Amino acid sequence: MQSTRPVARPLEGIRVANFGWVWAGPVVGQTLAFLGAEVYKVESRARVDMARSLPPFAGGVRDADHSLSQHACWAGNGSVTVNLKDPRGVALAHDLIAECDVVVENFGPGIMDKLGLGYEDLLAHRPDLVMLSMSAAGQFGPLRGLRTYGLSLASITGLDSLTGYLDGPPMPMENAFADPYNGIMSAFAIIVALAHRDRTGKGQHIDYSQQEAVMQMVGPAYMDYVMNGRTGNQLGNRHPLAAAAPHGVFPCAGDDNWISIAVFDDDAWLGLVRAMGDPAWAGAPELATHSARVEHIGELHEKIAAWTAAFDHRELAARLQSDGVAAAPVNSVADLLDDPQLTERGTFIEVSHPLGFEETIYGAYVKTSASEASAPPGPYMGQDNERVFRGLLGMPEERYNDLVAEQVIY
Amino acid sequence: MTDGALAGIRVIELGQLVSAPYCAKLFGDFGADVIKVELPPEGDAARRWGPFPGDVPDSEASGLYQFLNTNKRGVTLDVTVDAGRDLFLRLLASADVLVENNPPAWMRQHELDYASVAAANPNLVMISITAFGQTGPYADWNGCDLNAFHLSAAGHRYCGRPGEPPLQHGTFSADFYGAVTAATWGLAATIGRGRVGGGQQVDVSCAEAIAATFVGGQNIGGYAQDGIFDRRTGVSMGLAAPAAIIPCKDGHVWMLVLEPGQWDGLVKIMGNPEWAQPEMFRDMFVRGENKDFIHAMVEEWTMERTKAEIMDICQAADVPATAVFTVAEAAEHPHLRERGYLTEVEHPHLGTLATLGAPFLLPESPGGPRTAAPLLGRHNDEVFGAEIGVSAGELDRLRADGVI
Repeated sequence: MQSTRPVARPLEGIRVANFGWVWAGPVVGQTLAFLGAEVYKVESRARVDMARSLPPFAGGVRDADHSLSQHACWAGNGSVTVNLKDPRGVALAHDLIAECDVVVENFGPGIMDKLGLGYEDLLAHRPDLVMLSMSAAGQFGPLRGLRTYGLSLASITGLDSLTGYLDGPPMPMENAFADPYNGIMSAFAIIVALAHRDRTGKGQHIDYSQQEAVMQMVGPAYMDYVMNGRTGNQLGNRHPLAAAAPHGVFPCAGDDNWISIAVFDDDAWLGLVRAMGDPAWAGAPELATHSARVEHIGELHEKIAAWTAAFDHRELAARLQSDGVAAAPVNSVADLLDDPQLTERGTFIEVSHPLGFEETIYGAYVKTSASEASAPPGPYMGQDNERVFRGLLGMPEERYNDLVAEQVIY
Repeated sequence: MTDGALAGIRVIELGQLVSAPYCAKLFGDFGADVIKVELPPEGDAARRWGPFPGDVPDSEASGLYQFLNTNKRGVTLDVTVDAGRDLFLRLLASADVLVENNPPAWMRQHELDYASVAAANPNLVMISITAFGQTGPYADWNGCDLNAFHLSAAGHRYCGRPGEPPLQHGTFSADFYGAVTAATWGLAATIGRGRVGGGQQVDVSCAEAIAATFVGGQNIGGYAQDGIFDRRTGVSMGLAAPAAIIPCKDGHVWMLVLEPGQWDGLVKIMGNPEWAQPEMFRDMFVRGENKDFIHAMVEEWTMERTKAEIMDICQAADVPATAVFTVAEAAEHPHLRERGYLTEVEHPHLGTLATLGAPFLLPESPGGPRTAAPLLGRHNDEVFGAEIGVSAGELDRLRADGVI
C-alpha cells in the first residue's frame, strides 16, 4: 500500500510531562510514546541525569548528549530543560503540566511536594490530571523511604532468593531487570487511569511501588509458601514447579555458547531421544516416564550436556525443533544483532540521531497490525525547548531568551 | 459488574499456563469482565502444575492457577470442533479483547487466527503472546519461558558465573514480562480503537520484549558501534564496589554503595575501620577496581550481623543496602501488610486463600483480586445460556457431545 499519511496510533492526543529519571522513568514515557503519546522529559543541566553519563558514547564523544544506552532507553521521550531550583522554573513546569494529561515521576516519596510539584499542587493547574509516582516501596508504609537502585530492588521481593545455581547462594541479575519491567507496567497503570478518566472525568494519583509490581513475578513461589509453608530456593535453570525434565541450559561448541532445552511430555522426550540417535542410556527404566525423568533430572542433564557439547547452538536448536523439542539458542549480546528471528522482526534498527550520527537502538518490540509504532532516539538536552515554550505555551521570544540567559530554561 | 477503571471492557482469554492468564488477570484486576475459556476435559495445564496444598494433586487447588486467574469467570469449550468454534465466535462478537498464547499454527489450523476472528468482530483487539512472536523463522517453533528468556541474552549477559551456564530468574520471568508488555500495548489498542479505526492484532514475543527493552537498550548501541560486548561476571555491576550480594550472619544482603556520601555513611557505620580510610575509596570507580578487596572487607562486617540489622542501620544512614528477603520474609513483611498488598479471596474448595494484591494502587478506582479463580466450567450456564442466549436444550446437547 502506498500512503504517506501517518497511521493513527492509539494514544495520539495524550501529552505527558515526564519527570522520571535514569531508566525506569524514561521507559514509562517511551512506552506511551510508542503508543502515540507526546512525551517531554523534564530535566536540567542544574543536575544532569546520571543515565546521560553512561558509556559507551556515540563516536566516542563523552558528553551528556552522546550516551548510546540513553539514546536507546529514552527513545520516544522529548526533552525540555527546566531548572526547578528556580521558582520561575517551577512556574514554567506548572504551565507545561496545565497542557498535559499525565505527569510521571520516580523520585523518592515527598521530593515532588518539596519542589512545589506534588499532586495537590498540580491539581490547581490541571484538575483531571493522571499522575504516576513510582518509588521503591510506594508512597506510604514503614518502608516508604527505602533507598535502593533498580539493580538491587529484587532483593526485597523474594525474587533474588530464587535466582542462582542449584542450592547455591543468591545470584544477582547484574542489571536492573526491574527498571524496564516497571517502566512498561507503569505505562499500563497510566492507561488504566486514562480509561477511568475517559469514563468519569476524574484523574488520580497512582501509587506505584516497584517492590509490589516486581513481587508479582514471585506469585507462584508465594502460593507454595501460602499453601505449604515452603520458602523457595535456588533451582538453576530447572522448572520452577518441576513440570519439565530436561529443563536447562547445555553447553555447545565454541566459546561460551549454550542451548536451552525443555521437555514437558513424552512426545517431546521421544523427539529428543530420536535427535540424540537413540542412545542406550535413554532407554533406561528410570527415564521411561515423565515423573521418573523429573526425579532423575540431575543425571539426565549430565547425559544431555555430554551430547550437546559438540554442536553449534543455532543448528542444534533448529534440529531439535524439527523433532518437536522446545529448544532455542542462548544468545549473547553479539548474537542479538544477527539472530534470525530478531532480524526478521526488525527488533534493532539503525537510526539517525538529530545531532547527526547513525546509531543502533531498538524499535517497536511489539508488532501491531493496524498502527505502526515508532520512537525517535533519546533526545539531546533541551531538544524540544523552542517547540514547547515558544510553540505550545506561546511564550514571546524576548522572554524565552531571557529565561535561557538566566538559566531558568537550562 | 464492577465499578473498576476498566468496567465495560469484556476480555475473552483463550490461554493457559502463565503469559496469557497473567495478561488477562491484569485487565480483570482493574474491573474488566474476563471470561476464561478452557478446553475440556482437563482445562488449563496450570491446574496440573501445582503447587498443591500438601502436595496432593488436585486440579481445583493449583497455586499457580489460583494466583493467575482471580477475578475471572470460567467456561469450558472445545474450540477445535465446529460447534465449539461457532459458539466461541459468538462469544467474541460480544467482546472487546481476545488474549491468547497458543501456537500460531494451532490457531490457524482451527481458523482462529486474526483474519478469522476479525471477520467475526472487526472491533476486536487480539493480543497474542508467544515465546518468539507471530512472524519470523521461529514463529512456529515450540517455546517456553526458559527458551524465550535465554534467547533474549539476559542470562548470557547478566546472570551466572563466567564459564558456567547462564541463569534464569527462578520464576517465569519471560512470561511475566511478555504478559505485562501485552497488557500495556493491548489496553492502549483497546481504548484507542476510535483513533485507530477498529481492532487489530497485538503480537508480543516474550523473547523480543526482553531482548529489546532490557538487554538491547543497555548494550546494543555500543556493540553495533564498537564491536565489543560484555558477559555475566557472577558478581554484579563491575564499575563500583560494594555492589554485590554479600553473605551475612543469617543469609545475604544486597550492598550497593555508589555516591561518595553513601560510602562515607557505610564507613561510619562500620566504625571507621583502618582499611576504608584512603581518600581515593570515596570514588566508586576506584572501589570498583579494588572490588575483591572491598567485598571481602565488607563481608567481615556483614558476617557479624543479621540481614535485618544491616538493612536497618544502613537505611537509617541513607546507605542503599537491602536484605535479600526469602519468599517467607517478603510475605510476612509489615510494610506489605500495612499497604494491603497481602490479600485474600474466598474459594469454594480451599476456603480463605491468601494471594497478592494489585501490582499498583489506583485510589479512585481500586483494583486487585476480588473473586477466586473459577472452578472448571463454573460459569457455563451463566455465560452461554443467560448472556449468549444458547437454549437449555442446545446446552445439554453440547454437554453430551463433550463440546462444553
